Amino acid sequence: MAEERVASYADALFSVTRSEPERHRIEHELFQLARALEGNEELRTSLADPNIPLPRRLQVVDELLGSGGHPVTVGCVSLIVAGELGGRLPAVVDALVDHSARSAGREVAIVRSAIELTADQQQRLAAALATSLGREVDVRVVLDPAVLGGIVTEVGDTVIDGTVRHRLNQLRDAF
Amino acid sequence: MRIRTAFIGALLAVVVSLGLATPAGAAESIGSCVLEVGIEGAERIEAGEPESEVLDDLESAAERCIEAPNPILPELNELIWVTLAFGILAVLGLKFAYPAVAGAMDARTERIRSDLEAAEQAKLTAEAEAEEYRASLADSQGEATRIVDEARAAAEALRAERAATAEAEAAEIRSRALTEAEAIKAQALADLRSEVASLAVGAAEQVVQRNLDADAQAELIENYINQVGSGR
Repeated sequence: MAEERVASYADALFSVTRSEPERHRIEHELFQLARALEGNEELRTSLADPNIPLPRRLQVVDELLGSGGHPVTVGCVSLIVAGELGGRLPAVVDALVDHSARSAGREVAIVRSAIELTADQQQRLAAALATSLGREVDVRVVLDPAVLGGIVTEVGDTVIDGTVRHRLNQLRDAF
Repeated sequence: MRIRTAFIGALLAVVVSLGLATPAGAAESIGSCVLEVGIEGAERIEAGEPESEVLDDLESAAERCIEAPNPILPELNELIWVTLAFGILAVLGLKFAYPAVAGAMDARTERIRSDLEAAEQAKLTAEAEAEEYRASLADSQGEATRIVDEARAAAEALRAERAATAEAEAAEIRSRALTEAEAIKAQALADLRSEVASLAVGAAEQVVQRNLDADAQAELIENYINQVGSGR
């Protein structure tokens, strides 16, 4: 039942964002918020806590996105929290991003890096991944200091790991 | 045979008694004989015969009276009466006493024979029982020997089984102890290796973090993009 609600909300949000001129920005902001919530269980629990009044939870959303957040992004998050799916927000956003990519004949490539990638780097990486995998991808960058350096890309079940953390783990395993 | 012997014995006893009775009978005949001689002499004297002649005759007659009788043959009359009495007694004895005595003897003989047979039978029974007892004793001894042998064999088998079990358990304990020791050793080596690896990787991580500046990060990203693009 919960998965069906997640898919329904993702479809509804996709219907809202697909017609927006800044669709990619909105999806990027939602994706970054989802990754932030993935790493903060307390915040995720607070957004899903029915004992906290809804206005208070929506105020938290505003504080998270700040004044720089796209109004549609704020509206989408508010809709999810008001629908009592605050705890499943990362799943709803991932389904939205995946739906958006598939609608364009692409796949989502989740790229983890210790530093932000430039637009040029993201484009060249998308092209390189398309060449390597044989299909077009939408690159979604996740900042993850734990990788130390380099990049790890996940496209479906395929993982291409070029991080320093991975090499250190290989060194540890070699002992 | 025994009856005939008894009869002859009884006849001899009668003859001997007659012979021995002769002196008493003779004494009685002498008295009567002397008395008759005396009476006859008195009558002759009263008849007037010469006294001296009568006395001589009396003396001769008295001498004949006192002559000793036959020590074997009794007086004829006694012999007749005795023979008659003996005959009567013999007939009565043969008719009444002999069957009773013979019956008693036969009964006694039969009883003795029966007792002897019973004794013989008892002896045979006792011997049979003794033989049976000896056989039973032999069987009991054999059974006892067999039981002791079986008990000894069972005890030996049990001892061997327990020894084998104890040996197997000891071998298992040794094997388990050896396995555990090997496992502990391997775990200790693995822990030590992991600790060394953690220390080494931690040190390497610190070195890498110190050296991963913006240029190094950009170079790593570029290398990654190039490697992915080249299909390596």
